[in-house]
Amino acid sequence: MRLILMFSLLTSLPALAQLPSRRRAQPPPRMEDAVPGREIYNRNCTICHGIDGAAGDRAPALGAQRRYLRRTEGDLHEAIKNGIGGTLMPSSPLPDSDIRKIIAYIRSLRATAIDVAVAGNQRNGEAIFYGKGACLDCHRIRGRGGLAGPDLSDIGVERKLEDIRVALTTEKPAPSRGYQPVRLTTSDGRTIEGVIKNENNFSLQILGVDQKLHLLLRDEIQELAYEGNALMPSDFDKKLSKEEFQDLLAFLSRQARRRAQ
Amino acid sequence: MILLLAMAALHAQVTYDDLLKADPKNWLHYSGQYHSQRHSLLKQIDTGNIKTLSAAWIYHIEGARRLESVPIVVDGVMYVSQPNEVHALDARTGRLIWDWHRQPALQRGPNRGVAVYGNKVYFGTPDAHLISLDARNGSLLWEAKLAEASDGYWCPVAPLVIQGKVIIGIAPGDHGLNGFLDAYDAETGERLWRWNAIPRPGEPGNETWAGDSWKTGGGDTWLTGSFDPELNLIYWGIGNPAPDFDGDVRKGDNLYTESVVALDAGSGRMKWYFQMTPWDVHDWDAVEVPVLVDAFFRGQQRKLLVQANRNGFYYVLDRTNGKFLHGTPFVKMLNWASGLTPEGRPMRVPGVIPSFQGTKTCPATSGATNWMSPAYNPDTGWFYVVAQEGCGINTKSRDTFRPGGFPYMGTGYVESPDEPWQMYVRALDLTTGKLQWEYKQIGSRRYGAGLLSTAGGLIFAGDDQGLLTALDARSGKALWHFNTGKQITASPMTYMVKEKQYVALTAGANVVAFALPR
Repeated sequence: MRLILMFSLLTSLPALAQLPSRRRAQPPPRMEDAVPGREIYNRNCTICHGIDGAAGDRAPALGAQRRYLRRTEGDLHEAIKNGIGGTLMPSSPLPDSDIRKIIAYIRSLRATAIDVAVAGNQRNGEAIFYGKGACLDCHRIRGRGGLAGPDLSDIGVERKLEDIRVALTTEKPAPSRGYQPVRLTTSDGRTIEGVIKNENNFSLQILGVDQKLHLLLRDEIQELAYEGNALMPSDFDKKLSKEEFQDLLAFLSRQARRRAQ
Repeated sequence: MILLLAMAALHAQVTYDDLLKADPKNWLHYSGQYHSQRHSLLKQIDTGNIKTLSAAWIYHIEGARRLESVPIVVDGVMYVSQPNEVHALDARTGRLIWDWHRQPALQRGPNRGVAVYGNKVYFGTPDAHLISLDARNGSLLWEAKLAEASDGYWCPVAPLVIQGKVIIGIAPGDHGLNGFLDAYDAETGERLWRWNAIPRPGEPGNETWAGDSWKTGGGDTWLTGSFDPELNLIYWGIGNPAPDFDGDVRKGDNLYTESVVALDAGSGRMKWYFQMTPWDVHDWDAVEVPVLVDAFFRGQQRKLLVQANRNGFYYVLDRTNGKFLHGTPFVKMLNWASGLTPEGRPMRVPGVIPSFQGTKTCPATSGATNWMSPAYNPDTGWFYVVAQEGCGINTKSRDTFRPGGFPYMGTGYVESPDEPWQMYVRALDLTTGKLQWEYKQIGSRRYGAGLLSTAGGLIFAGDDQGLLTALDARSGKALWHFNTGKQITASPMTYMVKEKQYVALTAGANVVAFALPR
């Protein structure tokens, strides 16, 4: 049985390799199609996929921060038109013109910051990142900077431009998991400030502002206060000039040690 | 011959009397006893010595990811399942006796456990069969087809054996497949009766479905119910209507979805029903384990059925006739109903229904509680429940039913970004539902782990971080905990072998058992 399976896998490999080239070439998506594409997508695809590219109950997010199996127009067209074998993804009766609009919309959802043209002066943005913006206090790029916030060395390929803009300008309803600010006093009188990397009813794992890990049991803590707000400031569009803000965006959007495959 | 006789003598057969009495040394039903109180009379492990409770053994199930099986223990043998598999273990040592694997194995999960009767073990399969195995060596005795797997049906349900009948339900309603509850002859596998959860034309209740919507109405029966031997009634919770989030195409109350039904155990005929969420549009299956308690209610001794429902309300019913006695929210985040009428019908808040853009709905679709088992402790008189505080954004779109097992949901939900979900263990007064204490499971946001109550004054609770915690049943204070290493999505149980009490549960891919040190 195993032999047969291996044989069938081996024989199917060349066929797999040829698959994309056998697909009919599709005209490139027109970005202006993304607007009507969104409407068609939300009407037809959200039975399984989530609304506006979010994850659904039965199918993945098509616009989330992840690596995609189907990247080319041909792949996407094939999947929508004929379904995906072995999965719940069905074939679609939609006309090709509508499918192209859906593809344009999916592509617009997926583009990370580095894939999008961003106005602004990157060099100035870099100076702001390391200087006036004080981003380095919490974030690091290529080994330089603080630890309290996420490493931004690959932010250009990890996040969409809009997500970066929102993170710089909009207050979060609550700190994200792993970044909850905390201030506590231990039973032996030490004061620790930092972010909670993990916690349960019995222990806490804290990364301190002293850049050290503090691993504590709850009964070793005398007093503990959770900060309601995230450490990340949300007023960069106010404390920077319009040009400076755009320059910072331009700098961040180009941060990538690697390009997504 | 002498050896054979000796072997037969070693293995006790489980009689109906055994199932009725449910000796606390064994764990014979999914919920421990027919009344599903999940309260064990074992008290070797108690509030005084709990701090010394230690892991006794771990059994790893290869290929398992998120076990939801509640182990069954008969005279020192533990039966535990995952989809397509049953493993029989020495309950003292965790050593394998036999394992049985269904081939070919259709991959659908989870499986919530087995049932035992006579010398047989019963369990449901991903290809919608009921299987009977010899409890001594795992050999296949018979299999009965519950439904067509090619239609999309499958069976995650732990069966319930009553008077020589194996009672078993089916999933999934989310695919527009109509649910039912079946009884099979425990000896032969012959089907004795079927109760259809969605009434057909001409049957009472069909008028609660607009047009032909009853044909794809859902109403599955995916969690094990309870049984009252005196009344001879089976109590079973019924799942959601389909499409889950688009109620426009199925106007009406959509009976008997989102109801608890009482069926005569002999005939399968329905005696009464009580519907918690008429015309549900939030996927709030009413399958949560119905717990049967005889207690004083407003000065009168009554046969009660209580249920903490996924819709956020705690219900107290008279289980002789289904009459609504009392209902109250057991979560704070509840925005879809302003309360219950004197008949127990929700007073809906206009507009809290799924929309194309998304509607904030509390509780979330995952529910104020779900399949994780509640418990009732007769010593405290309190009902213990795992509660999830949180909201979802529920969306709707027009869906088309497709035969062959495709989702028929009419879209779904995402977690509301405003406030993160949070899990609690709560103790409620049985008859009033009034909160006695709550234990916040810090860092736990996802549901799945249920409760066990013991006469040792303890409530055992799992959580999504893999912690098994023992709480003082009276104060809610944590007395002991153990990190099992993976999210717990099943409920703990307890048993005794050679005068030693064990607490066990499935956690991640493992079965873990605990006992006091020698």
